[in-house]
Amino acid sequence: MSGALAGCTRGRERRLNVYNWENYVAASTVPDFEREFQCTVRYATYGSAEELLAKVFSGNSGWDVVFPSNSFIEPMRQLDLLLALDHGRLPNLKNLDTRFQRPQWDPGLAFCVPYMHSVTGILYAKSVTRTPLAWADLWTDSYSRRVTMLDDPAEVLGACLKRLGHSVNSGNDGELKAARDLAVQQKPLLRAYLNEEVRDQVVAGDVLVAQMWGQVAQVAIDNAPNLAFSFPAEGFALYADNSVILRESKHQDLAYSFLDYLLRPEVAAKIAMEMRTATANSAARAILPAAQRDNTVLYPTAEVLARGEWFKALPGPVQRLRDRYWTEIKSS
Amino acid sequence: MKRFLPVYACAAYLFLYLPLLALGAFSFNDSKIAVWHGFTFDWYGNVFRNSALVEGMLNSLLIAVVATLFATLIGTLAAYALWQKRLPWLTGSLYLSLLSPEIVTGVSLLVFFQWMFRFLKLQLGMHTVILAHISFSLAYVVIVILARLRTFDRSLEEAANDLGATDWQAFRYVTAPLLLPGIVAAALLCFTVSFDDYVITSLVAGVNSETLPMIIYAMARKGVSPEVNALSVMITVGLGVLVLVSGRLESKR
Amino acid sequence: MKLRTWFLAPGALVMVGLFFLPLLIVLAYSFLSRGAYGGVLLPWTIDSYARIFDSLYLAILWRSVWIAAVSTALCLLLAFPLALYISRAGARKTLLLNLVMLPFWTSFLIRTYAWMFLLRDTGLINTVLQGLHVIHEPLPLLFNTGAVILGLVYGYLPFMVLPLYATLEKLDPALLDAAADLGASPVVAVWRVVVPISKPGMMAGCLLVFIPCLGAYLTPDLMGGGKTVMIGNLVQNQFTTSRDWPFGAAISLLLMGMVLLVMRVLGDKGEELL
Repeated sequence: MSGALAGCTRGRERRLNVYNWENYVAASTVPDFEREFQCTVRYATYGSAEELLAKVFSGNSGWDVVFPSNSFIEPMRQLDLLLALDHGRLPNLKNLDTRFQRPQWDPGLAFCVPYMHSVTGILYAKSVTRTPLAWADLWTDSYSRRVTMLDDPAEVLGACLKRLGHSVNSGNDGELKAARDLAVQQKPLLRAYLNEEVRDQVVAGDVLVAQMWGQVAQVAIDNAPNLAFSFPAEGFALYADNSVILRESKHQDLAYSFLDYLLRPEVAAKIAMEMRTATANSAARAILPAAQRDNTVLYPTAEVLARGEWFKALPGPVQRLRDRYWTEIKSS
Repeated sequence: MKRFLPVYACAAYLFLYLPLLALGAFSFNDSKIAVWHGFTFDWYGNVFRNSALVEGMLNSLLIAVVATLFATLIGTLAAYALWQKRLPWLTGSLYLSLLSPEIVTGVSLLVFFQWMFRFLKLQLGMHTVILAHISFSLAYVVIVILARLRTFDRSLEEAANDLGATDWQAFRYVTAPLLLPGIVAAALLCFTVSFDDYVITSLVAGVNSETLPMIIYAMARKGVSPEVNALSVMITVGLGVLVLVSGRLESKR
Repeated sequence: MKLRTWFLAPGALVMVGLFFLPLLIVLAYSFLSRGAYGGVLLPWTIDSYARIFDSLYLAILWRSVWIAAVSTALCLLLAFPLALYISRAGARKTLLLNLVMLPFWTSFLIRTYAWMFLLRDTGLINTVLQGLHVIHEPLPLLFNTGAVILGLVYGYLPFMVLPLYATLEKLDPALLDAAADLGASPVVAVWRVVVPISKPGMMAGCLLVFIPCLGAYLTPDLMGGGKTVMIGNLVQNQFTTSRDWPFGAAISLLLMGMVLLVMRVLGDKGEELL
């Protein structure tokens, strides 16, 4: 603590620019950090991975710390956007869950620190006539068009691919074409393509079924007990959001401090409790109350997880192909 | 016919104002849904307590004021020059700029700034938004002032010249004062267009330049939020007052 | 004369630097290849333009033209009687005209949001209708093409009223009286006398409405729920999620080209009015 304070030579002119997913910090997380490290944090949020990439892609965006999903780590590294992390400045790294100490997208944690993780499944109102336990259910007419899918190419194509029995990371043109056709077929049955913003609409009963991330679903369920979450039978995607420091950052000291701050058990636990997220920090998880710690939507059992598949970074040509199919799906 | 037109006009005005009135009425509703529950000023209070909203408002104001100052100045001078001498390429491109779809203008400016920044080591931010706003508001100013100038009698300036005034003096002491109401009208138009812009701003904004429309857009996508209702009412009333006041000033001259 | 040049310089600089130059760069980008995660790379190619001829994108182009045309036509139909009424309203002309323009002064975004507030499933209209037991299930009033057209008509109605009013104001009421004296019914009188005279106003109004509708982005995005894709949305998509900048550049230029074409066709008459 005193070391941190000793590092502060100026007053509140010290700035840090953090760009994160919505609802990923507790109300007190950032103010506490600002107080402790005597700085001002500009904290803004985005609603989609695409939005983030579009902003930071130029290498000149002004952000210091951002939170890309695991499948973006490799591309961002290739585009030279990430700062190689000095573990010596992240003493709290040891608090990470073993599952995330050597993740497949960055085995040495050279560039990122896993932050929160979840799955993509189906959030639905229990009152529906046909309980959506599989992706295939979202292609039926049972929900009077009050269905939404995520506004994210990887997620929509992923669900379609899973329904066809392929990998969510497929690069095979034939498989992708079939997935695209499925998505186009589904479009008339959909209300819209929406990300987290649809949460309130599901809670209000406007939307009955939504492809949704587990963490967001949990918040919805907390607000409306008539909701439930299902892990689709055909399989589903796993993802983890990671904190990274951008190479363009002019505030690396504060950035390291922030990353390490988020790794503290009490800080991570507070966020997980208040925002109902699934933390990758096992020390934090250990101090959560039992109901939260063993919540099966946030921390699925190993059996359920076996049906899940991590999103992977895809090679350039495959990415181009998928982006093209996404344009076609959106414009059909 | 005599009866149809007034009835139709009433219906038309109702159509024009219904959404705004409904929005306004429900900004006082003590409930988040569209069912009347009671009267409250809470949502208005929430707007001011929301620091992101306040910051967005200040950003929007700053951008609008600076862009208006520059655009009005540059535009008035340019309109005067165009009044003296026709330059079809410039007038044509101003019309094109006016009618150009916002998405195209926004995208072209984004691409331009990104390309420039390779050499200049700058970032997207307030300055890029202000430059973008000056760029698209210029046409509005020129067209309003040019229209005004076309109703002027050129002989006034010629008389001034005959009496020994230089071109600059003729402009400064003869034409400009007469032009003042037009300049005010153009500035007002410029201000509202800039304050309201979403598409172009969202493309060229940076870390510290979130504007009010950007925040409203994000809130609108989420669903109904009475704070947005309250905010909308405040903006509408604010701009409405500005317009009425300037209209009064103009007619007084 | 020197003063003129000085006066012209800043304006010309802004136009060249912040309008033409960016468009030039867009032109250049449209002939390049896309990078895997956005941006442009070197081989020059006309791939992007070739792709436009895919039936999928031609359908979007056509849909945009169709929606813009319908919106413009509706605007014209709705604005005409209103403009006629205002032009004959005597002393209250300016007040009535200002009342039409006032919504225009408020934020376009806010006005669009206001309609969303009225039309959504849990919005005012559905709540009232359900409360009166006229319907049991909410009507799907939002997130479809109809809502987009409504949003466009509402947003651009003042742009149609203004030029119509400008021409109609010059109409001599004696003409209509003469037509009545000659036995024409009011409808015929309007059709044969008023409409031809108001042609320049109609052209200008159509110009001012059709073009923004063609390039509309916000309205289809918000009122259409992102499902009614028009050219504007397609362009935005390429610069964000689909990350195909060259294709986005090509479509932008295509849109500009269409705007120029419409300006040529409708513009000459309208420009005098403006």
